[in-house]
Amino acid sequence: MGDVSTAGLDGLAERLRVVAGAGNVITDPAELRTYECDGLTYHRATPGIVVLPDSAEQIAEIVRACTAEGVPYIARGSGTGLSGGALPRTDGVLIVTSRMRRILEIDIDDERAVVEPGVINLDVTKAVRSQGYYYAPDPSSQQICSIGGNVAENSGGAHCLKYGFTVNHVLACEVVTPDGEIVEISEAPGYDLLGAFVGSEGTLGITTKITVRLTRLPEKVETLLAAFDTIESAGEAVSAIISAGVVPAAIEMMDALSIEAAEAAVACDYPPGAGAVLVVELDGPTAEVDHQFAQVKELCDAAFEIRVAADDTERALIWRGRKSAFAAVGRISPDYIVQDGVIPRTALPEVLARIDELSGDSGVRVANVFHAGDGNLHPLVLFDDAVPGAAERAEMVSGQILDLCIEHGGSITGEHGVGVDKAKHMPRMFTEEDLDTMQMVRCAFDPAGLCNPGKVYPTPRLCGEVPGRRTGVHPLVESGKADLF
Amino acid sequence: MEDFRELLDDCVHCGFCLPTCPTYQLWGEEMDSPRGRIHLMSQHEQGEPLSGPMIEHFDRCLGCMACVTACPSGVKYDRLIEVTRAKVEDERPRGRTDRLLREAIFAFFPYPKRLRLLRGPLRAYQASKINMAPLLNRISPTLAAMERLAPPRASHVRLPERVAARGERRAVVGMLTGCVQREFFPGVNAATARVLAMEGCDVVISKDQGCCGALSLHSGRAAEARAFAKKTIETFADVDVVVVNAAGCGSAMKDYGDVLADEPEWAERAREFSVKTRDLTEYLAELGPRATRHPLEITVAYHDACHLAHAQGIRVQPRALLAGIPGLEIREIADPEICCGSAGVYNLLQPEAAGELGDRKAANVSATGADLLVAANPGCSLQIATALRRRGEEIAVAHTAEVLDASIRGIGKEQLSPRR
Amino acid sequence: MTQVIDALAKACEVRPAEPEDAVQGVGAAYVAAPATVTEAGELMRAAAEHRLTVVPRGAGTKLHWGAPPERCDLIVETRRLGRLIEHTAGDLVVKAEAGLPLEKLQEAVSGTRQQLALDALVPGATVGGTLATATAGPRRLLYGSARDLLIGITVVRADGVVAHAGGKVVKNVAGYDLGKLFTGSRGTLGLITEAAFRLHPLPQASAYVSATVADAAAALELTRALRRSSLVPSAIEVDGPDPITVTVLLEGFAGGVPARAEAARDLIGGRITEEPPGWWGRLPDGEVLAEVRAAPSKLTAVFQEAPAHVRGSAGRGVWHVGLPAGDAEQALDRLRRHGSAVVLSAPDGTALDRWGPVPALALMRRVKDQFDPEHRLSPGRFAGGI
Ligand SMILES: Cc1cc2nc3c(=O)[nH]c(=O)nc-3n(C[C@H](O)[C@H](O)[C@H](O)COP(=O)(O)OP(=O)(O)OC[C@H]3O[C@@H](n4cnc5c(N)ncnc54)[C@H](O)[C@@H]3O)c2cc1C
Ligand SMILES: Cc1cc2nc3c(=O)[nH]c(=O)nc-3n(C[C@H](O)[C@H](O)[C@H](O)COP(=O)(O)OP(=O)(O)OC[C@H]3O[C@@H](n4cnc5c(N)ncnc54)[C@H](O)[C@@H]3O)c2cc1C
Ligand code: SF4
Ligand code: SF4
Repeated sequence: MGDVSTAGLDGLAERLRVVAGAGNVITDPAELRTYECDGLTYHRATPGIVVLPDSAEQIAEIVRACTAEGVPYIARGSGTGLSGGALPRTDGVLIVTSRMRRILEIDIDDERAVVEPGVINLDVTKAVRSQGYYYAPDPSSQQICSIGGNVAENSGGAHCLKYGFTVNHVLACEVVTPDGEIVEISEAPGYDLLGAFVGSEGTLGITTKITVRLTRLPEKVETLLAAFDTIESAGEAVSAIISAGVVPAAIEMMDALSIEAAEAAVACDYPPGAGAVLVVELDGPTAEVDHQFAQVKELCDAAFEIRVAADDTERALIWRGRKSAFAAVGRISPDYIVQDGVIPRTALPEVLARIDELSGDSGVRVANVFHAGDGNLHPLVLFDDAVPGAAERAEMVSGQILDLCIEHGGSITGEHGVGVDKAKHMPRMFTEEDLDTMQMVRCAFDPAGLCNPGKVYPTPRLCGEVPGRRTGVHPLVESGKADLF
Repeated sequence: MEDFRELLDDCVHCGFCLPTCPTYQLWGEEMDSPRGRIHLMSQHEQGEPLSGPMIEHFDRCLGCMACVTACPSGVKYDRLIEVTRAKVEDERPRGRTDRLLREAIFAFFPYPKRLRLLRGPLRAYQASKINMAPLLNRISPTLAAMERLAPPRASHVRLPERVAARGERRAVVGMLTGCVQREFFPGVNAATARVLAMEGCDVVISKDQGCCGALSLHSGRAAEARAFAKKTIETFADVDVVVVNAAGCGSAMKDYGDVLADEPEWAERAREFSVKTRDLTEYLAELGPRATRHPLEITVAYHDACHLAHAQGIRVQPRALLAGIPGLEIREIADPEICCGSAGVYNLLQPEAAGELGDRKAANVSATGADLLVAANPGCSLQIATALRRRGEEIAVAHTAEVLDASIRGIGKEQLSPRR
Repeated sequence: MTQVIDALAKACEVRPAEPEDAVQGVGAAYVAAPATVTEAGELMRAAAEHRLTVVPRGAGTKLHWGAPPERCDLIVETRRLGRLIEHTAGDLVVKAEAGLPLEKLQEAVSGTRQQLALDALVPGATVGGTLATATAGPRRLLYGSARDLLIGITVVRADGVVAHAGGKVVKNVAGYDLGKLFTGSRGTLGLITEAAFRLHPLPQASAYVSATVADAAAALELTRALRRSSLVPSAIEVDGPDPITVTVLLEGFAGGVPARAEAARDLIGGRITEEPPGWWGRLPDGEVLAEVRAAPSKLTAVFQEAPAHVRGSAGRGVWHVGLPAGDAEQALDRLRRHGSAVVLSAPDGTALDRWGPVPALALMRRVKDQFDPEHRLSPGRFAGGI
């Protein structure tokens, strides 16, 4: 990234120093660059200014200051997003919530907690576990991703098969809207603005306070690791479990390549020689769990080895392999793309076979780690950027995998979001009318298009125009506030 | 040595290391997180000159290596920061005060004899050749704290050059006595030697041994570190195992292989030396207990010293050894992976940050309600005890070796009671 | 008039409205019944061209609920949009047209021992109507409400454009979740034409444990004990005040339910039955019916402010209250100190603040302006007169 003149932002930086305190505004070029990307390093842009506010009021003032100057702004939590959702803009302000990390209230009686957006997902559970509760959504990145980021991405996790996603566990959000107003949104009364806001990837405003639902810890948890010779037989076991009417807390699958990576990273000691492993977790009342556990073991009879975690330590070890798998792939390949597609669960065996073919034909290695229970695939497409053409080939395979998902009636993203990375794929899943309609919500919240522009949608909708008709170059594109993909 | 670029590229920017990084916990800024520091290193590697802010972020790193433990991608942050610190020392002259402070520290700490002169702030003042007046304010609280914790000088024990095994001999081991350890906590060394002997080891304690170079290595003083390393390797040439009771020293010695990798005549020796280095608890666990443990009715908060837990991956062994003592109850300290802020000379160089981290750790230690704080590093004990005192609390501190020694000798917990 | 009806007739079946088609006394001019999504689109476009106000109608079971529309030129009936589009049992997913009655949908999926885990509070309700009113019954505690089970939606906008959001997979974050926005929008943002839901396996067994208590405070204690237990109830309902009953529903594996029911009885006393009490999953009586949402611990307050009749999910903190018309305004004011209270139905002509304070109302108006800039869809029926 070249040295982009941010001279126009000097005045704004001064203003932000007054609002947030001098120590909380970053303008040093080297420091700014450390914010150039999130967990998806492929897209990079050095932010014009980084500000680390401490309160909703400060954020509201920052948003108003940006709006007054027509400067785009982008929220960032812990920067673990995998779709470039928090990708900054050289001509914009990055609003980082990592200093807003107080748990404001824990109300066990009403089973809820109120937290600031920078609070780390796992810290909510840590704060309430001793009282018999936890926060159910558990993205693999839970030890570091922020609740604000989770809300923006509607993050899921291994256990969302049974417990649902972030949206099912958020009761209310305080939001700084693009007008700089602080409003409280919830499911009712009135429109379910909360439902629309969760998962909007930071494009409808910045959440400054979140009320989350706490879930009672289950009476019993059983975790089983089943090792299969082939990924197909593991896939069939998944389908069998779902069809049998068992709703496990989680069913996760890893193939041989991702097992290799996890072994290298955390020595999780999975059965050697496995073509695929399934991690199945059941939780709930003891009688229910015992019954379903017996069923699951039966349905996994194609497995050559089944291990059952004897205690929490063994359970943690089984999960460690799975949860570190993404980052662990760094051990077996210099570069890789984390894909995030969804297919109907019944299509699992077929799609896995097709991915295998794609990989075979192109010579591009693909490691499969995924939330099998809900058909959310995370193929990791491996490549070495130092090899000419490798990145392009990997990108191609990765795109073909998405095509497969769409072909089977699935989705281009199950939990990582569209961000900047997949905006170009949106028209393959939705019609122009669909995208236009979705962006009506955007226009209602952010008519100026300054709140995280260029994300989610390939073409911004001009707000205020007659729906459905559009001619000429979009003014936002012209003014450089949005890019076309 | 591995290619620096490749080491940098191992980082996939996942952020898993952020929550365990003490400076990220304090300030919540990307540049003061492992991921951010690696990014800064990468910028420098790509030609960006070392700027003041960059150096500041490197200096603020405690070198606690919690990030190494947390990283699923196997990033060798320990090597990265070592190399970077050396670059900082080479490429950028520091400001005068900063330089003087560093000089002062490195003029004293690695040298037991000079340290001895320092006992008592007044003497320190007189003994120093350079004008330390502005620096003394920084160093003296630490020295004063050490004074408080250390037993009175009269109790100085001179260790013989060889301590014979009790009962049938199981091994012959060399023992590192360390600098701070030897001067301020000689009791720990004595306990270490006794425990080893009672477990059936002949303990060889060379009189010629000096500093292992840990402080220098962890502060970017590469040349100095190499010299100390070579000296130490030579000192222990004749033993098959070197047992260390100070976490920082042990982790440095296990790194000699990397430190001297570029010097052909030393590389192989250094690698072999690293392989034969053992932390005391690691070694005792390998050996297996033989001596009888007598009961100690005491509750213990065990603190994971960073250089033991993160740098050497030793967490289970000390807990297992302590748990093997009848009557002893271990209480876990919340957020065990977070550094207490001592971090070698960090508390001298970054006093505010170190103080805050100390306070956090003290609060967690205090919450355990334990009678005794056990750690494998004198710096940690100092730091935490000092922070506890700021809260108006006192806790007895001991090294794992002292607790084992007390149990095996059956001398009772009174020996471990709070010091003045 | 004939010109308009001709234009509408080009799109689909249409007839002049009868007096009984009036919505809360507001007479309609036409009633149209599209049979496909395309027809629905064309109909809505024709309505847009003639600037007709539109009120969608499902089964019309409770169309008279809510505030009367300001105007109602065209009623769009969904009864001919009644197909079950697909049910992939292996995926536990069903997709249906908006006019399909919920009971029909349940019947269709129950063959594979599956269910849409939504309680129909009013017999005959359609998929579209259920979504548009965001209704849910006792089992919302375990399964959530319509918004939580909806995975994809097709709508026809005010301008006749057909748009989709979501899909037919259970996990999907591509694009904004219009489904949630339309859930509970009561026909003011567009016409819902298709919906896809995630399904759940039918439980092998269920048991109800009911205990009668002396007062609301005692009821709160019981519901608290149930929530704190690890019994994972599907519903914790309360009904009162004459008498106050707490009933908990346990579902699951046949071998396990009896023991869990016993454990629940040990906690709260009372008796175990296979069938629910008569009031279960039905709306309470009362001239004015309102939905109250507050923290579960506000149960005693709700009973205090709405002494006539309270019924609902003590687990989630969503209750329906029946109020005498004379006292309703004051009772609502008092209830709103503890949470939100929205009037569902009231005798004709009752002057009431039906919604109470609605936070973020300005944003809601802007959403409405985007979707329906001419305010032709069910005008005046929603919060803030939307
Ligand atoms: C190794 C690894 C594993 C992962 N596993 C999972 C997984 O299992 N499931 C899953 O769902 N995701 C997973 N992720 C993706 C990522 O962790 C989630 O998307 C997470 O929610 C992002 O949180 P964050 O705090 O890092 O947000 P960021 O990356 O900082 O931001 C993400 C988006 O949220 C917006 N945002 C942040 N804060 C706010 C706010 N206060 N208000 C409004 N918008 C805001 C940003 O603008 C951006 O669009 C994984 C990532 C990694 C690196
Ligand atoms: C304002 C209101 C609030 C209600 N609240 C509750 C409640 O909280 N709990 C409860 O159990 N029951 C409630 N009901 C009862 C509810 O109407 C029935 O349970 C059932 O869901 C209605 O289904 P129906 O097919 O009979 O719809 P109808 O009675 O025909 O219509 C109900 C509402 O939905 C709209 N609508 C119908 N179909 C569509 C469509 N395809 N697209 C867009 N809009 C459509 C109508 O315009 C109308 O506003 C409420 C009803 C109304 C009118
Ligand atoms: S060594 Fe410790 S202080 Fe330094 S970056 Fe790693 S975790 Fe942070
Ligand atoms: S955990 Fe490892 S790979 Fe991830 S950001 Fe930290 S150093 Fe990089």
